[in-house]
This record gives sequence, structure tokens and C-alpha cells, in this order.
Amino acid sequence: MQESDHSVVQTVLAGNKEAYGALVRAHSTTVFRVAFRITGNEADAEEIVQEAFLRGYQRLESFQQRSAFGTWIYRIAVNCALNRISQPGIEAEYRHGEESDPAEKTVQVAAQDADPERALLSGEISAAQKMAMQRLTATEKSAFVLRHLEDRSMSEIAEVLDIAPNAAKQAVFRAVQKLRRELAPLRGNA
Amino acid sequence: MKHLGEEELVELYYGEAATETNTHLRACRECSARYAEFKQSLDAIRPVAVPQRGADYRERVWETLRPQLIPYQKKTAAWRRWAQWRVTVLAASCAMLLAAAFLGGRYWERTATKKASVPGNSQATQRVVLVVLTDHLDRTERLLVQLEHTDSTERGENAQLQSEARELLASNRLYRVTASNAGDPALAGALDRLEGVLAEVANDPNLTGADLERVRKEMNTKGILFEIRVLLARSPDQGSGPKSANGASI
Repeated sequence: MQESDHSVVQTVLAGNKEAYGALVRAHSTTVFRVAFRITGNEADAEEIVQEAFLRGYQRLESFQQRSAFGTWIYRIAVNCALNRISQPGIEAEYRHGEESDPAEKTVQVAAQDADPERALLSGEISAAQKMAMQRLTATEKSAFVLRHLEDRSMSEIAEVLDIAPNAAKQAVFRAVQKLRRELAPLRGNA
Repeated sequence: MKHLGEEELVELYYGEAATETNTHLRACRECSARYAEFKQSLDAIRPVAVPQRGADYRERVWETLRPQLIPYQKKTAAWRRWAQWRVTVLAASCAMLLAAAFLGGRYWERTATKKASVPGNSQATQRVVLVVLTDHLDRTERLLVQLEHTDSTERGENAQLQSEARELLASNRLYRVTASNAGDPALAGALDRLEGVLAEVANDPNLTGADLERVRKEMNTKGILFEIRVLLARSPDQGSGPKSANGASI
């Protein structure tokens, strides 16, 4: 795939924009998945897919042929998602959403009281998790998603987020600490 | 015995712990119990199901994106091939330019007095200089376009931009001085402004997206790009322009 991706890139750079379609088709679902996991929002994730591929096309000349196109576009998508969740308006919107419904958490804890194992799998628990994730900073959230959900190594995370490996490690560590703290009431009732 | 900290538990969980940490975990009941609780809490954080995309999703993404894409010009491919050989070709071109300048200077007087009798030599020199300078302006045009459109925080991309700027900076100085000595103020002025931008990009020890934005704003890179394009577009019969007469003027 990597070899053929490289030849497609060459074709695009030679003036055949239609060839870019093959790259979009090959990588759009992966890009959507990571965008959705970082933003937690389907519409945002769809926009990020468009933005990432558009930016990728515009910067195609700077694409280093020694890396895989998939990794490169993944990195662009993570950055787009990071920018999206870093926007103050959006962050405030998320936080406002959380705080406007304080009863929700109580409901989740109650559900856990009744039947912890089922509750753990319930949508309400997922919502609690989602809210806890939204309390993380953009970097913490991206680093945690990449490590915990996307199973990327610390060095890959550092590269994707363009930060030092130790900073990536610290971001994951802080995210874990905050999430455990936020979700502690649920564990207590389990 | 020092017990494991939370940071070490995180490393353990993600399989990145040092050997001593693993050894300690096996030997210490307290840490083992703590890790079991820690692991359970992180295992509980499961991926939220990613909404399924329809069968036509990939095609839909492409169809939405397609109208927004402007095809790369064929020139781009040629430029890329050129970029691969640029160091060698640039060195050879500079040597040719110096040789041409040396010969031109040495025989200047004779050429001036017997201009009518040796037009062939003069034209050959002009053609050499024309090719070299046009290539230089082509490359700077590319760099300025890239500079205009990048908002990158990516170190690799900025490093590439810097590396290209450094290469261009050295040759640009040579062309500017030559153009100035040859009495071509339009070309010399444009190259002078260009040199400022190149120096700014090339010499920044820690080039960031914000630095590039500042260079764009403060140094009016759009204006310089326009000047370069005008110089490149000059036709051979317009006298002092580079495309044609850069040879003549230098």
C-alpha cells in the first residue's frame, strides 16, 4: 500500500488531481475514526476529514516520501482535531454542556449502584467517560486518545503532536490521573 | 523498599515499564494490589463506538473534496526532478556563471569596441546566465508560494523550508550584486527584498508558524512574489528583464 501510495502522490504532483481520490478512499475511514475519538462529535469529525485531506493536498509537495502517506495524513488529521478542540468557543460549549446537566452524573452513579457490571456497559457510563474526557486539555485528550484508544507508542504520539517524548508521556500521565479522579465515584459504587 | 508511583503504574499498564518496575511488582503485594485496582479503572475506559460510515462514505468524502482541488501544474513534476539534482546543477551553474562573468569582464572592452563583430559569444553568455537566473527565480517563486500557504507547526516542514532558503540565499547574493553592478535596478531591487526574506527564514534558529506569519506580514512576501512573477514573465524583447534580458543586463 505504501509503495502504491507513493506512486499515487507522484501522479497527483504531476498534475492528475483525480488520482488523489484513491488516497482519500483508502484513508478516510481511519482519519474519521481518530477525528471522532478526539472530538467526540460526528459532525466535527466529518469536517476534520475534509480539512485534513484538503490540507494534505495543498502540502503534498512537502510530503516526505520516506514516510507512509497514511501516517502523514493521520498526523495532519490529529492536528486538525487538536486545533478544533482547542478553540475557546468550542471548549466552552463542551464545558457548558457538562455543567448544564449536573444531575446526569448522579443518574450514572445510581445506575452503577443497581447493577455495576451492566451499568459499566451502559450508555450513561459512556457519557460520564465522555464528559471526563472533555475536562482534559486538548493535548492531554489527544495524547490519551492516541495512547489508550489508538494504541500508539509514546514516540509516535510525540511525533504526531510535535512535542518532546517526555512531554507526551507527561500528557498521558496527567490525563490518566484526571480521568481516574473524575471517574472515582463510579468505581466507589462498583 | 520504595513502592511504585502512579507514573510507574501508567508505564506498567501500557507495557512501557522498566524491568525493575516489573520485578518490584512481582515481589510487592501492596503494589500488586494497587496495580490491580489501577488496571481495572483504566480497563473500564473503553472506546466510545465510532459511528459507522455508509458504504458510499469514502466516495462521498472524495466527491465533496474534489471541486476544491486545483491540479498541480506539470511544471511541478519538472521542478521536483530538478530539485533532486539541484545541488549538482546549482554548483555547475554557478561555476558556469563565474566563468561567463570572468570571460565577459576580461573581454569587455574588446567586446564593446568590436560588438558588431562578435555577437555570437555575447549571446551564448546571455543564454547561460538566462537559464541560471530563471531557474533561481523559479525556485524562489516556489519557496515564496510555500511560505505564503504554510501555517505549519511541523518541525520537518519548516526545516525543509529553511534548508531551501539557505541554498537560495547564497546564490541570491551573487545575482543581486551582479545585477546591481550591471545597472539593472529592477532586478537588483527585487533580489534585495527577496534576500531579506530568505535571510529571515534561513537564519531563524527555531522557526515556528508564528515566525513565518510575522515574516509574511512584515516583509510583504506577497508583494515580493508578485515582483518575482513579473520578472519571470518579462519577454525577451523587453530589454532588462531576467527571463530574457537578465543575461543581457548582468
